[in-house]
Amino acid sequence: MPENWFEVGGYRLCSDRYYDAERHLWVELQPGSRVARVGFDPLGRETSGDIVEVSLSVVGTHVNRGEPFGNVEAAKFVGPLQAPVSGVVSGRNAQVLSRPGVLNDDPNEAWLVELDMADSSELSQLLRGEEQLRLWFAAEIERYRRQGAVAE
Amino acid sequence: MSTWRYLTDESVGAAEGLAADEALMLRYGRDERSDSEATLRLYTYRSHCALVGRYQNLEDEVDLEACSARAVQHGRRPTGGGAILMGAGQLGVAVCTRAPAGIAPKDLLRRYADGVIAGLARLGIDAAFRSKNDLEVGGRKIAGLGLYVDDRGALLFHTSLLVDLDIPLMLEVLKIPGAKLSDKSVERVADRVTTVSRELGRTLTAVDIRADVRAGFATALGLELCPGEMEVEEQDRRDGFVREKYANDKWIRQRSPLPDARGTAGLKTPEGFVRVYVGVHGDTIKSLLVAGDFNTLPAGVSRLEASLRWSRAEHAQITAVCERELGASDLGVPAPVVAEAIWQATTRALEREREAHPVRAEGSCYFPEQ
Repeated sequence: MPENWFEVGGYRLCSDRYYDAERHLWVELQPGSRVARVGFDPLGRETSGDIVEVSLSVVGTHVNRGEPFGNVEAAKFVGPLQAPVSGVVSGRNAQVLSRPGVLNDDPNEAWLVELDMADSSELSQLLRGEEQLRLWFAAEIERYRRQGAVAE
Repeated sequence: MSTWRYLTDESVGAAEGLAADEALMLRYGRDERSDSEATLRLYTYRSHCALVGRYQNLEDEVDLEACSARAVQHGRRPTGGGAILMGAGQLGVAVCTRAPAGIAPKDLLRRYADGVIAGLARLGIDAAFRSKNDLEVGGRKIAGLGLYVDDRGALLFHTSLLVDLDIPLMLEVLKIPGAKLSDKSVERVADRVTTVSRELGRTLTAVDIRADVRAGFATALGLELCPGEMEVEEQDRRDGFVREKYANDKWIRQRSPLPDARGTAGLKTPEGFVRVYVGVHGDTIKSLLVAGDFNTLPAGVSRLEASLRWSRAEHAQITAVCERELGASDLGVPAPVVAEAIWQATTRALEREREAHPVRAEGSCYFPEQ
């Protein structure tokens, strides 16, 4: 397993990434810039079902934290993708738009958008670091198992 | 015990029916206020309306000439899934509420589906949740479920419950891969879907069973359902959605950047020749039909078709589902052999898709057809 990656209940997480606990999205700062890549964490992907279609806001769109930067259709669920941090959409993953199935294969790799953050202080509202992430993710797995949304 | 508002509607047009659902859900979004925790709406469309799923390409799913000739309206739902035919024989079930935090979409679907299952149980029909969000009775689909959450966290759960079904009309207006290419087309559909009327042995309309579905929701979800009316503000919003969205070609004829294509392949079995029809949407299998001279559709084939629908169009995925769903006696050949035939049909569809539609890497994701 690459450095800084670890497993919780069979799901891979990265200690260097930030995680939005409410929306089950990861945020990865790009080196030497204010740009943050955003993607599904493995539980967010799995509890939505197989993703069949994705739409993303166009480059240049400003979104505030909690506002939609796109939509996703997974099996028969259609819903918004809500930004984990505020910023301007500076990139969209063309592969995800043309082959949404890559999100099902590896949500850790298949990023959705890049957001140019105006205010990095919002990152403090996200989770980061192996110890914190392990506690949170283990509790989430247990919660979703009780709901029957993920396999035992 | 929770209190929900209960609404009914009959014979609504395609645009009006869809717009009403969205108008009702708006009051459950953030920054909105509602007197009731949720609204349950049980209604019927005028006979008939062909409705495609949120991201389907209309012309690939609906024969618009046939619709015009048979006075069938068409529209686009906000929920996902495949094309459906709605009318007096199909009960529309809509739940509008605030999306609960921290509950997975799969679980929400099951929660509200329990209301429909309980309603069917009151009629003596034993329905169960199946695979990708269908309800089935004895291996045959009786209802399709969908879930839509808007930007403000308002939720719409929708079910189309088959109380009765005009199968020849459905085959005429919906483009179902492989379904029309046989003199047994009606039987093929009847092998895969059932209705309340068929299960009970008498012809019923959606209105006939509405009270049972209402009671099913009340029992299964512990509700008091208070009859009400759409408020004036909701009616205004509905009318606005009709004008600006559901009767507007920009919404109805929008095309997904992901193309649709079909492929087929043959398979020799001890029971005779079987033909596999696959429809793909982007890199997803949107439909699968395994057609042969079956006296009775093997149960494993029915499960396989349902499980592969809305799955990834990948060899490993197809093989895994075939091995999971097919029993040794279902088609008389090993599951990997069936998987190869399905993969061959899928590959042909994917090749056609790539030839017809080069990948669109940038630009707007959804765009109206010119």
